[in-house]
Amino acid sequence: MNAREQQEVAQPNRLAGAGRIDRSRPLSFRFDGRRYTGFAGDTLASALLAANVRLVGRSFKYHRPRGILTAGSEEPNALVELRDGARREANTRATVAELYDGLDARSQNRWPSLALDVGAASSLFAPLLVAGFYYKTFMWPAALWEKLYEPAIRRAAGLGRASQEADPDSYEKAHAFCDVLIVGAGPAGLAAASAAASAGARVILCDEDFLLGGRLNSERFEIDGMRGASWAQQVEAELRSHPEVRILRRTTVFGTYDGGLSGARSFGALERVADHVPIPPAHQPRQRLWKIVAKRTVLTAGAVERPIVFGGNDRPGVMMASAVRTYLNRFGVVPGRRAALFTTSDDGWKAAFDLAAVGVRVVAIIDARREVAPALLAAAEHIETQVLCGAQVVDAHGARGLDRITVRDHAGERVQFRVDVLAVSGGWNPSVALSTHVGGRPRWADTIAAFVPDGMPRGMVVAGAAGGSFTLADALREGAAAGAEAAQATGFTTVPRPDLPVSDELTAVVPLWSVEASESKAFVDFQHDVTCEDVALAAREGFRSVEHLKRYTTLGMATDQGRASSINGHAIMAALTERAIPELGTTTSRPPYTPVALAAFAGIHRGKHFKPTRLTSGHAWAEARGATFMESGDWLRAQWFAAPGETDWLSIVSREVKTVRSGVGVCDVSTLGKIDIQGQGAASFLDRVYSNLFSTLPIGRVRYGLMLREDGLVMDDGTSARLAPRHYIMSTTTANAAKVMRHLEHARQVLWPELDVQIVSVTEQWAQYAIAGPNARHLLERLLGDAIDVSNSAFPYLACAEFAWRGVTARLFRISFSGELAYELAVPARFGDSAIRAILSAGEPFGVVPYGIEALSVMRIEKGHVTGNELNGTTTAADVGLGRMMSTKKDFIGRVLAQRPGLADPDRPQLIGIRPVDPSARLYGGAHFLKLGEEATLANDQGYVTSVAFSPMLGHWIGLGLLVRGRERRGERLRAHSPVRGGEVEVEVVAPVFFDPDGARLHG
Amino acid sequence: MADDALTARAPFGGLAISAAPGNGVRVAERGGLALATVHVRRGQITALTERVRARFGIELPPGPHRRVAGDVAFAGIAPEAWLASSEEDSNGFARSLEAAIGDLASVADQSSGYAVLRMTGPKLRETLAKILPLDLHPRVFLPGDVASTIASHVGATLWRLEDGADGSPVFEIAVFRSLAGSFWHCLASSAAEFGFARRETLSSGMPNQ
Repeated sequence: MNAREQQEVAQPNRLAGAGRIDRSRPLSFRFDGRRYTGFAGDTLASALLAANVRLVGRSFKYHRPRGILTAGSEEPNALVELRDGARREANTRATVAELYDGLDARSQNRWPSLALDVGAASSLFAPLLVAGFYYKTFMWPAALWEKLYEPAIRRAAGLGRASQEADPDSYEKAHAFCDVLIVGAGPAGLAAASAAASAGARVILCDEDFLLGGRLNSERFEIDGMRGASWAQQVEAELRSHPEVRILRRTTVFGTYDGGLSGARSFGALERVADHVPIPPAHQPRQRLWKIVAKRTVLTAGAVERPIVFGGNDRPGVMMASAVRTYLNRFGVVPGRRAALFTTSDDGWKAAFDLAAVGVRVVAIIDARREVAPALLAAAEHIETQVLCGAQVVDAHGARGLDRITVRDHAGERVQFRVDVLAVSGGWNPSVALSTHVGGRPRWADTIAAFVPDGMPRGMVVAGAAGGSFTLADALREGAAAGAEAAQATGFTTVPRPDLPVSDELTAVVPLWSVEASESKAFVDFQHDVTCEDVALAAREGFRSVEHLKRYTTLGMATDQGRASSINGHAIMAALTERAIPELGTTTSRPPYTPVALAAFAGIHRGKHFKPTRLTSGHAWAEARGATFMESGDWLRAQWFAAPGETDWLSIVSREVKTVRSGVGVCDVSTLGKIDIQGQGAASFLDRVYSNLFSTLPIGRVRYGLMLREDGLVMDDGTSARLAPRHYIMSTTTANAAKVMRHLEHARQVLWPELDVQIVSVTEQWAQYAIAGPNARHLLERLLGDAIDVSNSAFPYLACAEFAWRGVTARLFRISFSGELAYELAVPARFGDSAIRAILSAGEPFGVVPYGIEALSVMRIEKGHVTGNELNGTTTAADVGLGRMMSTKKDFIGRVLAQRPGLADPDRPQLIGIRPVDPSARLYGGAHFLKLGEEATLANDQGYVTSVAFSPMLGHWIGLGLLVRGRERRGERLRAHSPVRGGEVEVEVVAPVFFDPDGARLHG
Repeated sequence: MADDALTARAPFGGLAISAAPGNGVRVAERGGLALATVHVRRGQITALTERVRARFGIELPPGPHRRVAGDVAFAGIAPEAWLASSEEDSNGFARSLEAAIGDLASVADQSSGYAVLRMTGPKLRETLAKILPLDLHPRVFLPGDVASTIASHVGATLWRLEDGADGSPVFEIAVFRSLAGSFWHCLASSAAEFGFARRETLSSGMPNQ
């Protein structure tokens, strides 16, 4: 750090006494490495202006020097990077960045430094960089786009840099409900809030600023004999005394969303909880995303002053007249020493008077109108200034900041003035955005030459400047009325209040969209460097609708979304194409109104909390046993269990398979869907949802069932057990549990409401363990003792029972996915952890091992059992060899459409097994079948591999697949072609059962 | 092989708390609560209502409300469906309920299916506002009201009890057991700024609860 950076810069532009800042709390901050001070209550912009920093950034395309144009969230120019390292945030508007002690900010888009920017040379090529330049220039050769043009453009044209590190701060979401939502805490909003709150309504008052009051803090208004800012403080105190009022400062309502059944409507809002401190306090989020549901909404979002398009209007020192007043009155900062005003509205004159009142020399008031209210002219006589009516500023000069303006007077003569600040007022645009997000289109109002809300969302009313009523008296009156009306509409009684006496105002405006006699580049969209000439070019080239204009020139597409610029651009286009502005219309505005960080939308759901995770009750046990987990839907399931010293997954899985097939193993199958089905109609319900019969299933027995979709394709498979005449337990695959539940609910509620059947998910109630292998019965005998007889005669294959065991209700099912003698034991889930430990302990003499779903998968492939890989939404029962399960004795969901010619086509792919001709070759899932010697083209495609596994029992890879007419092609040799994995293996078509084809082991 | 009774494991057991010290939100796990879903048989709503009144002294609520008598409660969770609970006999409740109303309703034991927390504290509503899309204003969501809802991507059933002795609201929430960890993360993060504490038990103003 050099001496210059060490030295703190004073605040030469700070006025004594004035403003709503706390001079007892000086704050130290840095901008581009230099140290400055400001005060609590400053924004970064006001503090920079106080220190006489005028140049704060470079523009997007031409790298032109830019300063501070506004004092609000519409700021297009003063974009900066805040903070550093992981907390670096790009493209923040200095005008809304609340100053804090230690703030570190940097200018953007400049190299090597802000004052000396090499990229500014691109201004020399400006004639080339007109609208549509990218489209025209980089069309050909296309190959160069990614390698050359795009990186080059991205380096040259761009804004701030995103941090490459993970954001260390947290974000959260919250919901709020109210009778009356008030958006904007200016005079209209405060009046509305006060009226609604005093009636007892639940009120939420939001403002994007950290200070309530809106323009009351920026103007020298008087209300009821007190300063406007003091009145705002008084109302705020009153509101805080109401328990049902919530005031959300630093909160932008950024979007209007759907309404609910009760007429309430929802809104998105972003609260910047801790952007105004260096690091959020412990357990505090940086930002909070609110969903606010309001029965009634009062839109009091105010208005945005619009610039005038004239030559050099982007020079640092050219500033909105309203912003000049904000810096003077709210922050006690004079933005310059010699000022001029360029206005087309009465309102703009206030800037000249306020500047003069603090001793700034106002050298000229340039009003584009030929006729101006006598009261203004009379007032101007008191401030020793030159008034030029019917005049226009045609150029603004100054390399790094304004030093001179050229004015063309009413007679066409050019006059120059030496000034360092030019206040500009082109009238005001109501902030209509929130009224348009659900389809409302604003209406052109000639009296104020601006769009006002129209077709308001149901439940929303507008008051004050947001509705085009620009005087303080109107704002207070309309606000109070709207607040009272909203309270009444939500069931509260209000007491009428007298109108407050306030200062008089003149608000006439005659718009001047653009100065045709401009003598240099005149900017319409500052942030995207769209000039008046670009709009003209778009008109010449036929891009005349507002939507085309936007996309061709990028007008209004920057981070400010054209809040300060769009209407000027549209008006210029209207004039060029000889249409009226309302005829041209507006572009559609969508949420968000101001930028919202994606992190705020994610809230606490980051990283592994992106979605919920479901854990079985045996999870902690499995973890302790060295399980490796994998995701299966939202569940985590043990993939395999590494014994100490084991590292190779394939050998672990092979060990698990061999142990199960030779001894006994246990697998957590709790994640399978379990649906409890009861009622008089339970049996016929199952007959209708399964393709095979269930009403004939004896009590105490389980049956494998196949479920079709209405379109005849297979939906899911599983088993259902009959516990009692009117009580079944259905199991589904883990992946399809929720889908099957929805399907059954639909069938029950919509298709057959006459059936007496009740269904409920009991997936979570039961922990279930598959115990498989030749020693499974021995293990169970030892585990269950006298609780149940598990002998083959008492409990044969496909038996089931519910019984009391060790103080709990347990269920046992003799079903097998592995092809071994196997059982599934279910206990209430809170005993799941205890049960798995008991199973392992009982199995110890038999060398029991826990096995994961990888071993399970190997064994089911060895047995040719289908799963989601085969039941993938494209296969019929016949395709996967389950055609015999399609009952012809009854109707069921999917029966009719399964008979469609396409689904009955004998040329459909059918389930087959494959094995590599070379036993050492590895198979890959997803490989496509080709006949030997045929080219790998789509036309020659014969089907594909659905599942593969290394079979430890056979000692080579095996696979399942879907092959055209597969069943009749056993013994045929094919190529399994896998371009993705770069391999090809010759395979032989075999039966899709590799191990124990007769199923003898099941019945042991 | 010793026939040791199986031991229950609490779904929220072992989940860590990292929060600012304080009592803004206090929670206690309701491990011993017996739960069962009750779905009325077709056309038996009147008979079931009478039976429940006779057996349990409870007027079966038709909407999302919870009625309590003695140690038993019925909470409406869907049209013609209730979550019944009992403070005692967590292993036998479903069976005794089945015996009492099984001919008029389908009963399924869910004592292990849900993880239930009782929650209280002066900052409970502020915390729940971050989790639930519900208006829990004291005049809107009354003691005895029930909601089947979404708690930050997790399905949940919520009911309000009488306020605690300190005037703080008392709620209970049931989430699927497997999601206890995810819900806990969400609750603990949301409550952290207010201080989050765990208790063995928490009393509410409701009799026998």
